[in-house]
Amino acid sequence: MKWATKKEKMKRTYIILTITLLSTIAVAAQKEMDAFKVQVDGLGCPFCAYGLEKKFKEFKGIKKVKIDIETGDFSFSFPAEKALSMEAVIKQVEKAGYTPITAKIIRANGTVENSEDGKVALDPNKLESTEIIVAGNCDLCKARIENAAERLNGVGEASWNADSKLLSLNFDPDKTSLENIEKSVANSGHDTHSHKAKDQLYDKLPQCCHYERLKTK
Amino acid sequence: MIHSLRVIVVLLGCTLGLNAQGPPITGDKPIMLGGGSFTTKTLTEIRTTQRGTFTYVPLMLHYLPSSNSLVAVHLPYIGFNFENGGNGGDLADIRILGKYQFFRKDATGKTIRLVAKTLQTLPTGRELDLIDLSTGRYAGYYGIVAGYETLKYGISAEFGYNWMPNGTLDELRYKLGVGLPLLKPQYPNKQLNLYFEYTNSWVVERDWYQLLYAQGIQYAGKNITFDFAIQLPLVNDVDEGRKLKQSFFLGTRYTF
Repeated sequence: MKWATKKEKMKRTYIILTITLLSTIAVAAQKEMDAFKVQVDGLGCPFCAYGLEKKFKEFKGIKKVKIDIETGDFSFSFPAEKALSMEAVIKQVEKAGYTPITAKIIRANGTVENSEDGKVALDPNKLESTEIIVAGNCDLCKARIENAAERLNGVGEASWNADSKLLSLNFDPDKTSLENIEKSVANSGHDTHSHKAKDQLYDKLPQCCHYERLKTK
Repeated sequence: MIHSLRVIVVLLGCTLGLNAQGPPITGDKPIMLGGGSFTTKTLTEIRTTQRGTFTYVPLMLHYLPSSNSLVAVHLPYIGFNFENGGNGGDLADIRILGKYQFFRKDATGKTIRLVAKTLQTLPTGRELDLIDLSTGRYAGYYGIVAGYETLKYGISAEFGYNWMPNGTLDELRYKLGVGLPLLKPQYPNKQLNLYFEYTNSWVVERDWYQLLYAQGIQYAGKNITFDFAIQLPLVNDVDEGRKLKQSFFLGTRYTF
């Protein structure tokens, strides 16, 4: 009886160890993916998005392909070991027959590369995380706000939530400032508490993006 | 002269006043889905005229060597059933298609494109004197396809001339396709589109003029479409005995 219990315990330990080992391997494997975000113009219909995805499927190992045809946001992940370059990504969008506007690579090791500034690698240890209120309504606003922040040299990731109106971002304070980021967002037509967008810019936004204006400090 | 004026008036009217969306059914489109891809298509046409009923079944293979060029071959079969008794089936005129996109302007969720197009008709079919189906004569078509596509609407238009050196089917052609999506644009795509398509055809040497209207519906999955359309003449100014009654189109296309 005792022998059976001991055997049972050993079996359980083996199972737990195996699961732990597999989970560790899986997590490690997940961390080995670079994340790519590309702003693509010219996706005038869902079939266009299919053409884009199909062209990128030529990159063997591509995962998590996501295309928002309304905003032109195209994202995917790719094995870090293959070190897919910014030039190759931009060229592939062009080969698909569309226009790449901006591209950003967040490498598995935390460094960030922006297409607009050449290969500007951000040191993950220097990045500061913060949140600011940005006025907006919809997915189109989201794309515009995030692009306005991310296009700046020194900004890592930027993510805006339509419900909370919070723009969560990280940036390298040696390369840019929160002031610059808020100005860039305001120049895209969206109010922050420190910088109000010009009325002409606000008026030019599509109807669905006409948010309730913020009171600036 | 009157026909020329009609063509010009309709052309101008259409250009100034209409919008559309998606790949048209009876017309052509300027958007090409990525270099290095193949598309197989078929668009069966059942055309009923005063002369009889003709069933045209093409098998089309399109290849895009680059993102702005396309070559294709169309291998068609035609079944014919004349009112006066003759009937049968045979290979129709094989066609070679070439397209080159020379203008592209993209913006978020929209694009404008212009494409030069040529369609070379080889005299492999029977001499049935059926425009676009089976003439048994060489013809070269040269035209421009233009398109403005947005997620809410779009437009595709085509203007060109079909030149037949050893026949009397020289034709000035203008097409306009208007389409509206019935479902919200989404990706992976699942679309249901309505099409409103006009074809102006002026057969110069015979002085025939037709304005045709096609009402179509299309289901589009990720890389496949199913199309159906009925085409009716709005203006049918051709010789008695040759007038079009109606055409039905049934097609599918698959991209890989």
